[in-house]
Amino acid sequence: MALLNTEGGSLGLLDKFEILHMPMLMDHKYFGLPYNSCEIDIPKAEVGLISGGITDEMRLRIAEKMRRQCSVIVALGTCAAYGGIPASIDSFEDEELFGGSRRGAEETDSETNSVLDVPKFLGRTFALDEKIDVDITLPGCPPHPDRIAAVLESVINRKSLDWPLKAVCDSCPAKREGKGGVHKIRRFVKNARYQVNKPLSEMRCLLEQGFLCMGPVTLAGCAGTGGGLPRCIEARVPCRGCHGPVRKGGNQLLDILNALASNGIDTKDLAGRFLPHLFCGARAGLAGRRSVRTAPEF
Amino acid sequence: MLRQTEAARSPVFAKEIIIEPVTRIEGRAKIGITLDDTGSAARVRFHMTSMRGFEKFLVGRPAEEAPGILACISGVCPLQRHLAANQAVEGCFGTKVPPAGRLLRELSQVLAHIGSKTLHFFFLAGPDYLVDSNRYARNIFGIVGQDPELAKRVMQTRYRAQMMLEKLAGRCIQPDAIVPGGFSRPMSCLERDELYAGALEQLEFAGFAVEFAKERVFPRLETELMRLGDIESGFLAMVNTEDGSLSLSDGALRLMRPDGSFHEFWGREYSDFLGEHVEPWSYSKFHYAQGWGEGFSMDLDNPLGIYRTNSLARINVADCISTPLAQAEFVEFRSRFGRPAQSTMLYHRARLIELLHCCEKAVELLEDPRITADHVRNEAVPREGRGVGCVESPRGTLIHDYSTDKDGFITRANLIVGTSHNLAPINMSVTRAARDLIRNGEVTEQVLNRIEMAVRAYNP
Amino acid sequence: MSDGNVGFEPRIVAFTCNWGAYAAADLAGAARVQYPAGLRIIRVMCSGMVHPGLVMETLENGADGVLLMGCHPGECHYQNGNEKARARSAVIEEVLLLMGLEPGRFRLAWCSSAEAERFAGIVRETEEALKAMGPSRCRTPIDSNSESVQCL
Repeated sequence: MALLNTEGGSLGLLDKFEILHMPMLMDHKYFGLPYNSCEIDIPKAEVGLISGGITDEMRLRIAEKMRRQCSVIVALGTCAAYGGIPASIDSFEDEELFGGSRRGAEETDSETNSVLDVPKFLGRTFALDEKIDVDITLPGCPPHPDRIAAVLESVINRKSLDWPLKAVCDSCPAKREGKGGVHKIRRFVKNARYQVNKPLSEMRCLLEQGFLCMGPVTLAGCAGTGGGLPRCIEARVPCRGCHGPVRKGGNQLLDILNALASNGIDTKDLAGRFLPHLFCGARAGLAGRRSVRTAPEF
Repeated sequence: MLRQTEAARSPVFAKEIIIEPVTRIEGRAKIGITLDDTGSAARVRFHMTSMRGFEKFLVGRPAEEAPGILACISGVCPLQRHLAANQAVEGCFGTKVPPAGRLLRELSQVLAHIGSKTLHFFFLAGPDYLVDSNRYARNIFGIVGQDPELAKRVMQTRYRAQMMLEKLAGRCIQPDAIVPGGFSRPMSCLERDELYAGALEQLEFAGFAVEFAKERVFPRLETELMRLGDIESGFLAMVNTEDGSLSLSDGALRLMRPDGSFHEFWGREYSDFLGEHVEPWSYSKFHYAQGWGEGFSMDLDNPLGIYRTNSLARINVADCISTPLAQAEFVEFRSRFGRPAQSTMLYHRARLIELLHCCEKAVELLEDPRITADHVRNEAVPREGRGVGCVESPRGTLIHDYSTDKDGFITRANLIVGTSHNLAPINMSVTRAARDLIRNGEVTEQVLNRIEMAVRAYNP
Repeated sequence: MSDGNVGFEPRIVAFTCNWGAYAAADLAGAARVQYPAGLRIIRVMCSGMVHPGLVMETLENGADGVLLMGCHPGECHYQNGNEKARARSAVIEEVLLLMGLEPGRFRLAWCSSAEAERFAGIVRETEEALKAMGPSRCRTPIDSNSESVQCL
C-alpha cells in the first residue's frame, strides 16, 4: 500500500515501470486453467518487491519463483527484511500460541488436495533472505514511499543506493542532557514531558526521560529521504524500532538491553515482559543475522 | 503450463479450480472449487491465508504495549486495531479519555475510513465496473489509460487523505499517536487549519464519488449483477446509544436478524451473543450468532446463525446518520432497498454513503473548537481489570477483550478481527456465485472474476 | 538427555580479560595445572568489552557453555569494565531464557592474574555442570535454508 503513496500519489514513477503482477491491484493469478499445482506463474521482470515474512509453504514457493524470474529482488518492509513481529511471536510453540484458533494442515480432509486448502505453516516466520538471495533490503513498517521510489529509481539508473547507516538518534533533534538520572525504565502510561507548540528540539530526549526509546539501536530514515524527523518521536512517542537494526546483522533486543545495562539502567524483566518491540525477530536474529555457515570444527 | 491469455476466452473444462491469489483485495485469500460429475460447483472454500492468531503473544505483556505490538502485525486496518486495543486497555485501567483526545481519535478513525473506502471503490473493486473485462486492463492502470483525469484525481485525493492521517497520527499506516488515555500530543491551530482545508476537499470528492457511482456503476450493479453472491443473513454493527445513528468509534452493538428484529448490547457482552465455530479445513474461526440459539450452518438454503458486518451491516442496523448529506443518501437507500437489505452488491453503495458521512464528520470534528485543546491524555494507571474495546473498521466490527493483573500486565486476551465475522458469509457468497455461474464444468476467466467480485464487495 | 551425556565433552568458550583471567590461564599452562581440553580461550582486553551478542553468537554456533572472566571487583585495569560486564551478564541471562537455553550455560567469574588454580577450578566446575546439562540444543550446524528448525 505504501507503493501507492510514492511521489505524492502521482503517476510519475509508474510511467517508468510496467507493473506485471501485484495481487492487491491487478488480476494476474498464480495458477491458470486447468489447475496445475506444479508451477506458479509469475512473469519475468527486472524488479520483484516482496513484502511480509515467509510463514508458509505457499509464500515460500512464491518467493522462490520470484527469485528465479526477477533480476533484482527487494525485501520490502521490516517483515520481509528481518521477520518482523510475527517472527518474534513464533518464539512460542505452535500449539501453545494458536490453541483453538488455528489447526495444522494435517487435520484437513484426507480426500482433498491439500493445496486447495490452507498452506502448511513452516514452523516459524523466516526473513526473506533466510530463504532466497535478496539484492536490496528496505526496512520500515511500512517503508516510507520516498525510499521505495528511491529504490526503484536506483534500479532504473543502475546506481547503488548509498544510505548512511546511522541510528535514529542521529536524526533526532531532542535535547540531550545526560542519562544519569534514569535508573529504571518507565512505562509509557502518560505523555512525555514537552511544551505544546514548541519544536522537537526543545523536548528532552525520551530515553533520558526514562522511556524505552529504541532510537539508539534503530536505523534512521523512517521519515523518508528528505531528512524528516523520526515519525514516532515527532508524534512525541518513543521510537519502537520498526525500521530495523542499524546494520543488517544487528540485534535490536540485545543492543538496547546492552546499552541500558552499560549505563546503569536496570534491565530486569525488560527482555521478557516488555520485549522491546522485536522487529528483527526472525529466530536466527535473536543472536544477530549472520551469513550462513556451519559450526566451526573444534 | 499455459499462461492464461485472452485467446483462451473459450471455456476450459476442469475438475478443480483454484483462484489464487484473490486479487484486488487488501488481505490475502484464495478460493478452491471442486466440481462434481455434472460440472457444477460441489465444494467451494474461501480461505483468508493472511489471518493468524496473536492473542497468546499479548499475555504477560504490559497492557499499554499491546496496541503497538498489534499494529504491526498486518497492514490491514491497523488504525482501528490500535484504537480498539487502546480502548480495551483503558477499560482495564479505568482510564477516561479527555474530550480533545476523543475528538482527535475520532478524526483519525474517519480519515482512515476515507482512505480505505476510496482505495476500495476506485482501485480495488472499481475496475470491475469501469474498464472492460480484459484481465490486463482491469485495474487502476487500466483506468489511467481509459480516463486519465479521473485516475489522477482519485490517486491524488487518496494520497492527500493518507497524508492528513500521517500528519495527525504519526504514520499513515501505523498510528502511534493514539495511546492509552488519549492522544500523544495536541493539535495546533495551524495544523487544524491545514487539515480543515483537506477535509473540505475530501468532502467534495466524496460527493463526486457518489454521483459518479450513481451514473456509471450502480445502474449495472443494482440490476443485472444484483444477485451476484446473494445470501440471506443477519447483521452486526455499532450504533450511537443516544439516537441509534451510525457510529464508527463509540456506542453499543446491534445484532439484527434477517427479519429485521435486533438485540442491542454493550461490547463487553459480546460473548453472550457471538460464538466461534472451527472448521477442520480452515485456520480461521467462523463467528456466528450463538445468541439466536439456532447453531451454525453455511447451507445456502438454510443458513443458521449467519450474520455480516462492514458497510452494508452498518447501514442496515442504524436508524439514521448524523450528517446531512449522508443521511439523505441513507433515506434513499432505505426506501429503495428496505431493511435489512440483503444483496451483497449493495455493500458498494453502503460504502460510499459511509465515505460521504466520514468526510462530513471530519469537517464537523475540525470545526469543534475543543479539538485544539492542550489536554489530550489522562494518565493510564495500571491496575487489575477487564476491558473490551469495540470499533468499526472498514472490514467490520473489531473487538478487543483484555484482562489485566494488578500490575497492569495482560493475563488474557481475545481478539475478533473485522473480517472474521464475514468469513462464513463470504464462503456462502462465493459458493452461491460459483453454483450460479459454473454450468457443465465450463469455466471462463470472466466467470472466475465474477466469483471474485462476490468477495470484493466485502472488502476483506 | 542422559543418553546423550555418555562420552559427552562439553565445548566451552571462555572470554578472558588480558590483565586477569588470561594471565591466569597462561600461568596455569606454564605451571601444568590441568583444565579440561574442551576449553577454547578468547583473549579480550577487558571483560567489559564483551557484547552480549558475542556470547549469543558463540552459543548459537554450537558452544555448550560460555565463560566470561574478568578481574575481581575493584581491580579492573580500566577502572570499572568488570562492572559493565556484570551489568551485561544480567542481560545475557534474561536473553538465554528467551532463547530457551539453560541459564547455567553462561557464567560470569572473577579471576586475577595469579590465580591459576582458581582459573582451572572454575573451568572444571563449569565442565561438570555442562556435562549434567548435556549438549546444547544449538549444537547442530545452522543451515537457515533448511526448513527444519535446528535451533531455537
